[in-house]
Amino acid sequence: MTDQAMSRLRAANPFPATATEDAALFERITAGPRNEGGRRRGRSTRLVIVLALLAAVLLASTAWAISNWIGGDVVKPPVTRAEYAQAQNELVLPPGYHWPTLNVDPNSVTTRGGGGGHAVVIAQNAWECFWVQAIHDGDRPAQQRAYGELRKLLAHNILVAPAGASDNWAPPNPPRGPYAVFADDGGFEWIRAGYAQAAAGHPARIEASCRANRPG
Amino acid sequence: MGRELDRDVAEARFRAVFAHLGAVTAYARRRGSTDPAGIAAETMTIAWRRLRDVPEDDPLPWLLATGRNLVWAEARRARRAGGDPADDAVTTPAPEFFELDPDLAAALMALSPSDREALLLVAWEDLTPAGAAAALGISGPTFRVRLLRARRRLRARLAEARPDDVPPAHFAVEGS
Repeated sequence: MTDQAMSRLRAANPFPATATEDAALFERITAGPRNEGGRRRGRSTRLVIVLALLAAVLLASTAWAISNWIGGDVVKPPVTRAEYAQAQNELVLPPGYHWPTLNVDPNSVTTRGGGGGHAVVIAQNAWECFWVQAIHDGDRPAQQRAYGELRKLLAHNILVAPAGASDNWAPPNPPRGPYAVFADDGGFEWIRAGYAQAAAGHPARIEASCRANRPG
Repeated sequence: MGRELDRDVAEARFRAVFAHLGAVTAYARRRGSTDPAGIAAETMTIAWRRLRDVPEDDPLPWLLATGRNLVWAEARRARRAGGDPADDAVTTPAPEFFELDPDLAAALMALSPSDREALLLVAWEDLTPAGAAAALGISGPTFRVRLLRARRRLRARLAEARPDDVPPAHFAVEGS
């Protein structure tokens, strides 16, 4: 989306949030109970155990189904974290940037390579922001370096899924280094065109991408 | 004494969560709730009861995810009351678009609910991509792909409505 379209959408917000004070509601809510956990005893305990066992069976079968559904190659958080750490040895961040902590839900599974993919998009965003700053500073060597690093990322670390592939598509022969997968919806070409525009002195797209995709 | 201290700590923590009351109310209103203040109050009540589950550093995505579930439930109840046969379907309520300019409203409504929600979480709720991913319960990279797709589709719809909004052709050629 162009800056104009983004600005248009933001400006169209029909009900902007406003600070709301409601002391009575606060008092009413905090006068109520909280779930402290581990306080229920008695008859319900057996029901909870039965439900927990049922949930475990369902989860096991669901995990098996999901692993087959998304290609049978999902990994647990320690693997994803290791992939993310390994990718940091293979990707370069601009001067002054650092790798953010990867927060993964301990009960989740991720497609193999997801940790590396996360690192790729972190690096991509960092170089975009570095480029924006270099343009504002008039630092030509830094601009050229950013463009070069981003072109390398596009060439070696970003894949485009086949048309019609699911969001969880994984390449049958994954590259050796970290990689991120983009949907086949023209987004990759849009990004590449944005880089070409920035190199030609029109940085609007990378400015928008830097702002929108910056780690929260 | 210890229990009192726990309660004081909990209340102090909840006060930071409660500061988002206005944001949750506005969210519910924008998503078409007929009782946005009630949705926000219920969201806050759930947050109080489950305070340990609410992320301390950034509670808003958790609150919006809870609020969205409540808006869905409200919409399902309304459909059941109206005799809609699809009463139990999990659908996304149509946001309040009647105050938007027609081109933008049409472009937003032409998007899939998931694409639309991705855009609005960033544009209207002012969430970061990481926060929006948390609100939707999906990974950051998956959200980024979804957001990119949504932006592109919205831009295309707006360009159809106003052809002069299309970027100069030579830019597209340069990048292809």
